[in-house]
Amino acid sequence: MDFDTSIGGPHGHFPSTQLSLVEAASAGVPNEAIDRVIALYWKPVYRFIRLKFHKDNEDAKDLTQGFFTAAIQREFFARFDPGKASFRTYLRMAVERFAANEHAAAHRQKRGGDVEFEPVEEQAIAAESPEQAFEREWQRQLFALALDDLRAHCEGCGKQLEFRIFEAYDLAESDRPSYAALAVLHGIAETSVTNHLAWARRTLRGFVTERLRGVTAGERELREEMRRLWN
Amino acid sequence: MELSDSVLDHLRHVAALPDLAGTRYELESEIGRGGMGVVYAARDLQLDRRVALKVLDIALAGEAQLIARLEHPAIVPIYETGMLPDGRAFYTMKLVEGARLDHYLAGSHSLAERLRVIRRVGEALAFAHTRGSIHRDLKPQNVMVGAFGEVYVMDWGVDAVAGTPAFRAPDARLDQRSDIYSLGALVKFVLPASSPPALRAIATKAMSADPTARYPDATALLADIERFQEGLAVEAWSEPLWHRLRRFGTRNAVLLWLLAAYASVKFLLFFLRNL
Repeated sequence: MDFDTSIGGPHGHFPSTQLSLVEAASAGVPNEAIDRVIALYWKPVYRFIRLKFHKDNEDAKDLTQGFFTAAIQREFFARFDPGKASFRTYLRMAVERFAANEHAAAHRQKRGGDVEFEPVEEQAIAAESPEQAFEREWQRQLFALALDDLRAHCEGCGKQLEFRIFEAYDLAESDRPSYAALAVLHGIAETSVTNHLAWARRTLRGFVTERLRGVTAGERELREEMRRLWN
Repeated sequence: MELSDSVLDHLRHVAALPDLAGTRYELESEIGRGGMGVVYAARDLQLDRRVALKVLDIALAGEAQLIARLEHPAIVPIYETGMLPDGRAFYTMKLVEGARLDHYLAGSHSLAERLRVIRRVGEALAFAHTRGSIHRDLKPQNVMVGAFGEVYVMDWGVDAVAGTPAFRAPDARLDQRSDIYSLGALVKFVLPASSPPALRAIATKAMSADPTARYPDATALLADIERFQEGLAVEAWSEPLWHRLRRFGTRNAVLLWLLAAYASVKFLLFFLRNL
C-alpha cells in the first residue's frame, strides 16, 4: 500500500488507533486512557487554576498535580457519564470543585481555621475568562500533541521534506514564505509544495482526530468536539 | 512544542480546509456555515463553472442523497457527492448568487413580494413533505433569493440538527408539523410591523404550541395566504363584523359602485318624473 494514500485508509478514513474513554474503561486499560487525558489536559488545568484562583506558578502546579493524583485515586474517570456532559466540561467542573476545596482549606489554615471559604470571584477585567483560557489551552495542547505525532510519523516514513515544508509555512510565526520560494529552496516544483502541504494538513487533521478520539466517550462526543474545534 | 495564538489559529484554519486533491474541484473561498458543515465556493475544472461545495463535519452522505431526491424549482439541485481524502463527505450543488432572506428583507419590499417568497418556500416544503422529508431547521438564513427573484430553500436537515431556537417548534420529536411551526415563524419574520391581522393570525396558528392546532400541512397554510390575497376570510382568524363588512366592500367595490350608480339613476328619474 502506498503510504501517501494509506493515511486515508481503505475507505478514505483515518485509521483509528485509539480507544475512546469508554472503550478503554470497558476494555480494562484505564491507565492508558488516564495517560492520554493527562497529556492533553495538564496544561489547560494548570492555566485554568492559575487564572480562576489567582495562584502563582508553583501553587498552580501543585494543585494541578494534586488534582490528577486525586482523580486517579478516586476513580474520577470511571465515574464520567457521557450522557450528562462532554468529558472536557466534566473535567473542568471537577477541577473547579477540587481547586476551590483546596483553596478553602488553605485559607482556613491561614486564618486559624475559623473562617468560611468565600469563592474567588472571576477576574473582573481580563482579556479572557478562566474558562476561555482552559478551552484555548486545550486546543493548543491538542494541536501540539498532534504535531508531535505528525513529526514522528514523517520521520518514521521518510517524509522529512513534507514536514520541513509544512513547518516553514504553517508553523511560521510571521512572514510566511511563498510557495515559489519554498519550491526553489527545496529544489522541487511549486505544485509539489502545494501537494506536500495538503498531505501534511490532512495528516495533521487525522492525528488531531485520533487524539480527540482518545479523550472522548464515543462517536457523538467526538463529532461535537470536532465541530467546536474547527468552528 | 509551544504554539502561539496566531499559529494555533492558522493551524485550526488550514487543517479544516477541504483537501480537494484528486477531485475535479478547486477551492475558492468559504461562503457560509450550515447546520452540519461548511460551504465553500469552488470551481468545477471539468465544466468550468462555479459551484457551492459543502463539506460535512461528519460522514453524512445521507444528507446529499436526501436533497438529491428532492427535485423542485425551489430546492437547490445537487450535482455530485463524494468523499475527501481525510474521510469527510462532501457534495456540490448549484451556487446561488443572491441574498439570504434576512438580508434580502433589509431592502424595502412590498407585502405582495414578501408573501411571494413565503409561498415559494411553502411550496418547496409541501413538496418535500410529500416525499417523506422534513427540513428541521427552516429559518431566514436557510432561504436564498436569487438575482432574478428565484427562491431556494437550503440546508435540508439531518437527524443531528436541532433547529434554531426562534424558529424551532417546541416539539419533543420533530416531524412535518414542526416544519409548519417554522414556516409560521418565517411568515411572522417576513411580515412588516403594520401587517394585516389576518396574516398575523396565520403565523400564530402555524406556531401553535400544540401541533394538532397548527395547519395540517404546508398546502393548507398557503391556501390561507391565498385566501387573504383574494380578499376572502382566512381560516386562522374569526374576524369582527365591521372587518367583514369592510372586506366585503373592498372585494365587491365594482358591484357596489354599480348598485350605487343604478340607485342614483333610479332616484334621479323618479325625481324628474315627479317634477
